[in-house]
Amino acid sequence: MNFEYTKEEQKFRNEVREWLRETLPKSLSDKVKKYQRLSKQDYEIFMNNLSAKGWLAWHWPEEYGGTGWNAIQKHIFEEEIVKASAPRIVPFGVNMLGPVLIEFGSEEQKNYYLPRILNNEDWWAQGYSEPGAGSDLASLKTTAIDKGDHYLVNGQKTWTTLGHHADKIFCLVKTNTNVKPQLGISFLLIDMDSPGVEIKPIITLDGEHEVNEVWFTDVKVPKKNIVGKENEGWTYAKYLLTFERTGIAGVPNSKSALDHLKMVSRKSLKNGKPLIDDPIFSSEIAELEIDLLAMEIFNLRTVSAAADGKAPGMESSLLKIKGTLVRQKTTELLRKALGPQALPYLPEQFDEGWNEMPIGPEYAGPIAKQYFNMRKISIYGGSNEIQKNIVAKASFGL
Amino acid sequence: MDFSLSEERKMLQETVARFFENNYKDIKKRSDYLALNDGFSREIWKESADLGVISGLISPTFGGLGGTGEDFSIIFELIGKSLCIEPFLSSGILSSTILSSIKNPKTELINQIIDGELLISFAHMEMNNRYEDHFVETKAFLEDDNWKLNGSKSFVINGDSADKVIVSARIDGEINDKNGIGLFLVDNNHITRRSYNTIDGYKAAELNFDNVNAELLCKDDLALECIIKSNSAGALALSAEAVGIMQVCFDLTLDYLKTRKQFGKSIGAFQSIQHRMVDMMLEIEQVRSAVMLASSTFETNSSTRDKNVSAAKNLVGRVGKLIAEESIQLHGGIAMTWEYSVAHYAKRLIMIDHLMGDADYHRDRFKLLSSI
Repeated sequence: MNFEYTKEEQKFRNEVREWLRETLPKSLSDKVKKYQRLSKQDYEIFMNNLSAKGWLAWHWPEEYGGTGWNAIQKHIFEEEIVKASAPRIVPFGVNMLGPVLIEFGSEEQKNYYLPRILNNEDWWAQGYSEPGAGSDLASLKTTAIDKGDHYLVNGQKTWTTLGHHADKIFCLVKTNTNVKPQLGISFLLIDMDSPGVEIKPIITLDGEHEVNEVWFTDVKVPKKNIVGKENEGWTYAKYLLTFERTGIAGVPNSKSALDHLKMVSRKSLKNGKPLIDDPIFSSEIAELEIDLLAMEIFNLRTVSAAADGKAPGMESSLLKIKGTLVRQKTTELLRKALGPQALPYLPEQFDEGWNEMPIGPEYAGPIAKQYFNMRKISIYGGSNEIQKNIVAKASFGL
Repeated sequence: MDFSLSEERKMLQETVARFFENNYKDIKKRSDYLALNDGFSREIWKESADLGVISGLISPTFGGLGGTGEDFSIIFELIGKSLCIEPFLSSGILSSTILSSIKNPKTELINQIIDGELLISFAHMEMNNRYEDHFVETKAFLEDDNWKLNGSKSFVINGDSADKVIVSARIDGEINDKNGIGLFLVDNNHITRRSYNTIDGYKAAELNFDNVNAELLCKDDLALECIIKSNSAGALALSAEAVGIMQVCFDLTLDYLKTRKQFGKSIGAFQSIQHRMVDMMLEIEQVRSAVMLASSTFETNSSTRDKNVSAAKNLVGRVGKLIAEESIQLHGGIAMTWEYSVAHYAKRLIMIDHLMGDADYHRDRFKLLSSI
């Protein structure tokens, strides 16, 4: 066992860091640092750079245009992009659909879609959840009826993250309603500009527009847009979810949030002294840091075992649970660290070019908002309660 | 980074595992050993020496075959699994660490420990010094060029059966001065002692010193360094022991959930119970990870070593309580009995938090070492 980064790994880290320094515009990393709203173009600048460098599909197999990096390199890469305050890589095409197409897609689909994802030509959205199908995803109601050369799709998807930027959406649809729910689901690729597709914003509790509702009314979808076999979509859906979950551990994000927390706790005052000198508050920080230290090793152990050919299945659920709790704890302590400075809510502060005086320190503005926003992470990607069901079923033999 | 064990370490793991399995098949055997005069079996201790288990805790520089943080972890995780009570911690870790860290290492004594022929306990704790490394009230003074000790030491694990005892005593200064501490070697038959059992099954002793002759091992900075290093080694070993115990608690509980039926089904069928088991599983993996980190960085500089050991021991304290309490609660009444093994595992797991610094102590030390 050796937990030190090897010379090659250090070298790789420097390479990534150097590249980010050269290519990431400062105006963009400043926006990310200040939690300002990112435009579609902001995301695309970064993703196009990655694409040009050949790093966008960083966890695909090399034969499909991936990087061939090992688990440690991937971890280093994730850490560096967070440290550099780059926008997040929009995951729906490259991290979610890509692996599904590689595993289950037809040759034609691979040849058409994978290069487009690699070149960042399509913005994909995820069409999983419905108003009546959240944790019980298999109970989804959107139907796709076989009309010979096409499917006719009717229904509604929800929580569609950044769907308002999307060109395409991959959807779980019912192709057979007469069988057990899991046996009648298919995985369908739909153009967002097809007639009958309508998108409406959902404003979340922090006042932001990030997610949407997507409505399908008599939408015609060519038969060739089905992935894999009809009625076997549930298998593909679950396969995709394990990819969705591993990233959710969010170790690099929690690490940078912890640094931020320490900075804020040094500046916030209690009885005229830095809050970080308060033994109770600093104890909370210390135990959070210890949890995170352990989780980083747990995460690395899991991903490197997965790279050795063992499936990350059940462990990715454990990581999702702990990762989200730790990350939420950072936002909770940040909020507490501010005291009454957490109260002011100036939505315009998060617009590009806002240059008025903030109320209180500039760092205070996004913190409460971010706390409320981060409530989502223990809900999405399969709620933490669902993750517990998965672990219990997979490994307890009860 | 490399997360796998080397072939050598895997072999060590297999050998030691087999040894403990053979000697500690069921909890009744442990009770039998406990009832012996020393509170453990001298035969098993000697056998473990012949097999090289004690040697695995000592560096080759001093005649051992291991002695790294990783070796401590491998061996102590298995000690935890079997709930073994032989004096691996007192002689194998705490005393050996000190004897090998002084200016003129006591290689001969270490070799006798390796051979299973000599037991040495480390007497640092006092009735009121809690877990501090430098709060020392016991006094040392020179009389005609001979060192003498006065005072008393508490909770000395295996302090009754040890042939010799290493004692921390104050040569100079106030009770909480970092400077002025010495470490002394004393023959145990010169000490007045009162021995007793601890609640988790160990034999311990209160030692009284009334002008007892002692040999100075080291003093001042080096003495404090030795105490800290020995405590960190002990805290790491106990953390690894806790991992082994937690795994057994989890496995026993899971087995029980499958066999115990209420309301016409096995109690493991209830979701509320399943979710609590997932929480336990998750936290055990967290502890395992923290212990891996602490053991793999044990040979680096002392601040990294102590910081990572404190992280592990803090987590062991917090998670240990969860696992011990949940194991008992999910079992129900059966876990309240002396006869059933889970109770003994739970007791040891909780009491590990009372040795070598509890969760609060290590959280505070972690704070200091990482400048929070």
